[in-house]
Amino acid sequence: MMKQMRISIALLLSALLFLTGCAQKGDQAKETAAQSETVRSQTEENQTQPENQSQPENQTQPEAQSGSKAQGEGPITFTDMNGREITLEKPADRIVALTASDCEILYALGAGDTLVGRGEYCNWPEEVLDVPSVQSGENTNVEQIIALQPQVLLMSAMAQTDEQIEALENAGIQVVVSYAQDIEGVYEAISMIGTAMGKNDEADVLITEMKDTFAQIQEDSAGDGSETIYFEVSPLEYGLWAAGSDTFMDEVAQMLGLTNVFADMEGWGEVSEEQVIQRAPDYIVTIAMYYGEGQTPVEEITSRSGWENIPAIKNGKLLNLQNDELSRPGPRLKDGAEMLYDFVYGGERDN
Amino acid sequence: MKKKGREGFSLPVYILFIAVTLAVMLLCICVGSVMLPLKDTLAVLWNGLTGAGGPVNEMAANIILPVRLPRVLCVALVGASLSLCGGAMQGLLKNPLADGTTLGVSSGASLGAVAAIAFGISLPGFPFAGSMVLAVIFAFGSLALILSLAYKLDSSLSTNTIILIGVIFSMFASSISSLIITFAGDKIKTITFWTMGSLQGSSYENALILLAALALFGGLVIGCGKELNAFAVGEDNARNIGVDVRRVKLTVLICISVLIGVCVSVSGTIGFVGLVTPHMLRSLTGPNHRRLLPATLFGGACFLMLSDLLARTLLNPRELPLGVVTSFIGSMMFIYIFYMSRKR
Amino acid sequence: MLEVKNLTVRFGQMTIVNEISFSVSPGEWLMIIGPNGAGKSTINNAISRAVPYTGTVLFEGKDIRRSKSREMAQNIGVLSQNHYVGYGFTVEEVIRLGRYAHAPGLLSGGKDEGEKKVRDAIQKTGMEPYLNQSVLTLSGGELQRTFLAQLFAQDPRLLILDEPTNHLDLIYQKQVFALVGEWLKKSGRAVISVVHDLSLARAYGTHALLMKKGRIVSIGSVEQVMTPENLNQVYDMDVYDWMRQMYGQWN
Repeated sequence: MMKQMRISIALLLSALLFLTGCAQKGDQAKETAAQSETVRSQTEENQTQPENQSQPENQTQPEAQSGSKAQGEGPITFTDMNGREITLEKPADRIVALTASDCEILYALGAGDTLVGRGEYCNWPEEVLDVPSVQSGENTNVEQIIALQPQVLLMSAMAQTDEQIEALENAGIQVVVSYAQDIEGVYEAISMIGTAMGKNDEADVLITEMKDTFAQIQEDSAGDGSETIYFEVSPLEYGLWAAGSDTFMDEVAQMLGLTNVFADMEGWGEVSEEQVIQRAPDYIVTIAMYYGEGQTPVEEITSRSGWENIPAIKNGKLLNLQNDELSRPGPRLKDGAEMLYDFVYGGERDN
Repeated sequence: MKKKGREGFSLPVYILFIAVTLAVMLLCICVGSVMLPLKDTLAVLWNGLTGAGGPVNEMAANIILPVRLPRVLCVALVGASLSLCGGAMQGLLKNPLADGTTLGVSSGASLGAVAAIAFGISLPGFPFAGSMVLAVIFAFGSLALILSLAYKLDSSLSTNTIILIGVIFSMFASSISSLIITFAGDKIKTITFWTMGSLQGSSYENALILLAALALFGGLVIGCGKELNAFAVGEDNARNIGVDVRRVKLTVLICISVLIGVCVSVSGTIGFVGLVTPHMLRSLTGPNHRRLLPATLFGGACFLMLSDLLARTLLNPRELPLGVVTSFIGSMMFIYIFYMSRKR
Repeated sequence: MLEVKNLTVRFGQMTIVNEISFSVSPGEWLMIIGPNGAGKSTINNAISRAVPYTGTVLFEGKDIRRSKSREMAQNIGVLSQNHYVGYGFTVEEVIRLGRYAHAPGLLSGGKDEGEKKVRDAIQKTGMEPYLNQSVLTLSGGELQRTFLAQLFAQDPRLLILDEPTNHLDLIYQKQVFALVGEWLKKSGRAVISVVHDLSLARAYGTHALLMKKGRIVSIGSVEQVMTPENLNQVYDMDVYDWMRQMYGQWN
């Protein structure tokens, strides 16, 4: 009985997690360690040639065109993040991207104009809102996608069934799975999308930029893991949800030398107020949205009873990241990391 | 025939009920997601109750009075209110499966609350009131709609007809809620969590509102015990013995709507509480509503406090939505009651 | 005592009871007879305010529409044909509900008189042995006696019986009719009942109302109404001949 109960609870919970469109990383902490190594070595390489860093920015346009042309002559082959071999006759020029992060990557690569359809939750950058939207996630609507006649469909590994993928491929749409579970995965996604678009160089530039930022942040961060941070995903009114380990927020916290107070919990989860009070974080980050009426998320947290003595609240160390900077596996992770760095080390900052 | 005070409970029984409820409440205050030494908890509680100052564990002081106590109070009051509503509805409709959840009243109420939040309907000065008032109105509207539809289809109001209509209405209301949520965009995506039922962040003000609603409207419902007995024997019989059927029905339905509406706006949808408690208690008190209804107050409070204790501690540090726990227990109970009633 | 004038009951387009007028005086037992669908039970439902109607129904000269529910119940009591009780109330609890109309407040007097009425009702119907039993465990006849006891405890002046013995064995039929007959003996009381069984109607009724398709065919004393001509016309068959054949077998 007990066992069944636990199972059904687990099922319900996973359904809930799914609803939140939760960005969980899969694996072990080892990966993170290994990857920060990579970041470090990358940084050193880059720092030896400082001129190169600024140059690619200017060269982006011409290089991209020549690159596309060169690759356009033959078919492009690569492996997507589901391990499937993909062959494209030419670089993709009609794309439907279902996840918000893939849309952001496309725009960051300067390929936003190839989008003919987007998932309903894609909202960054603003131009993307002009692209026709299709249902995504568990409501993915194959017909809507086929009607847009894309050459390539970019989507995550979640939610879509094999039948749906088969239906799409029968309609002549190349399905490419992009599914980043950690920052390393984001690099992989950017590089893969760059290949598919014939924009390898731009992808490299973007990845390098991200790696540089992260490396810089890590180097500048003085934290030794003794200070703690709490990421609030959903406000108290709707049940308190926090980011645990294996999330992008956790990864960035480690980069900054901070310890996530809910590192003992995997992924996102509903936690109890009491736990936050007991764990007494030094910093609080909330990703709640503010709509211009009533208390701001920061004010709301500050006013909670029983929270007065939490160090973060005593010292006014609260940050509101409103635009999914740290919850989306896209290029803006570096913006989020920078904002968090400024918040923690940049002295007093009014949000 | 022997005892003069008949039907209702005697004073010692009430004292026993209160004692048990207080004991459960104390347990739920002492045990929680964060384990605090019993001594500190009691010290904080004692200081809080007597107003005495004194050296206390700071952590316990930060957790017990501002966070845990108001939550336990709200849980107890919501449990009592929902159970009372369940018991009253089951009598009124002569239907052992009736409950805010099975009849779709809760879904209706939460549709009202969602609409209030989505369209920014609020009363100046009372940020909570908009969703509360709309939840109450929608709860009553749903009840009226469900019952009139049921009367149209099957004037005997058989168990199955009502439940079927309730389930269909529930789906309808939920789909409208989802529609509103979809169109309202990001603003209330998080409401998806809330509709699962959560009492996190309960405040003393919430407890006060719940208490006021329960004292006023719950009192009215309990006052209708005799009439509800007549309804439970049969609506025709109630009319025959001189019950003002329309007036009593309207009174009870309005009270139920208010209670469910207030509960839903404070805590979201917590399913099946009104089904479980009266059913468990009926085997102790018998079907007589003059005993059953007061008992549901205490039983419902205890049941929900214990369910919430499970929700808070089972997967520590994670927290389970309370609605998950009660729906799990409640759906088992539903099947059991349905099976037993069909076998008869 | 009861006066019914131009009573009409419609359900949607259908007219179930059409412009019926009659009256009942104390001491009378009016049997409403007629084939299925004649509108017999609907008359009862109208008089007990269970269905909407047009026309007037006066009790002691007062329009029953103006009466409060409790006042109504003190005047008119109804026993319907079958009961399905939802929960396991005890027999005593159900019988005591009959006093509802007489106990408007918690602190009202007359408790002792009520107590006596309840005890009398229990004793008359022979329900003492069952008092603490759940009504769910009773047989059909016992259940009907329980509700009859409730009705006696309610102590109305006019009793309305709607096919009170429809599902009951002969012995219970006899029990119920004998109990009602006994009840009627006290002055100032009257009974209206709908029955299917013509011989029961003839044996216990003082008056009869013969209906067909919502209209009165004949009304008056039992002897006046239950003539071969009337019955044959209404039932479309030779009722007397059939009765004779049926009962002839037993001689």
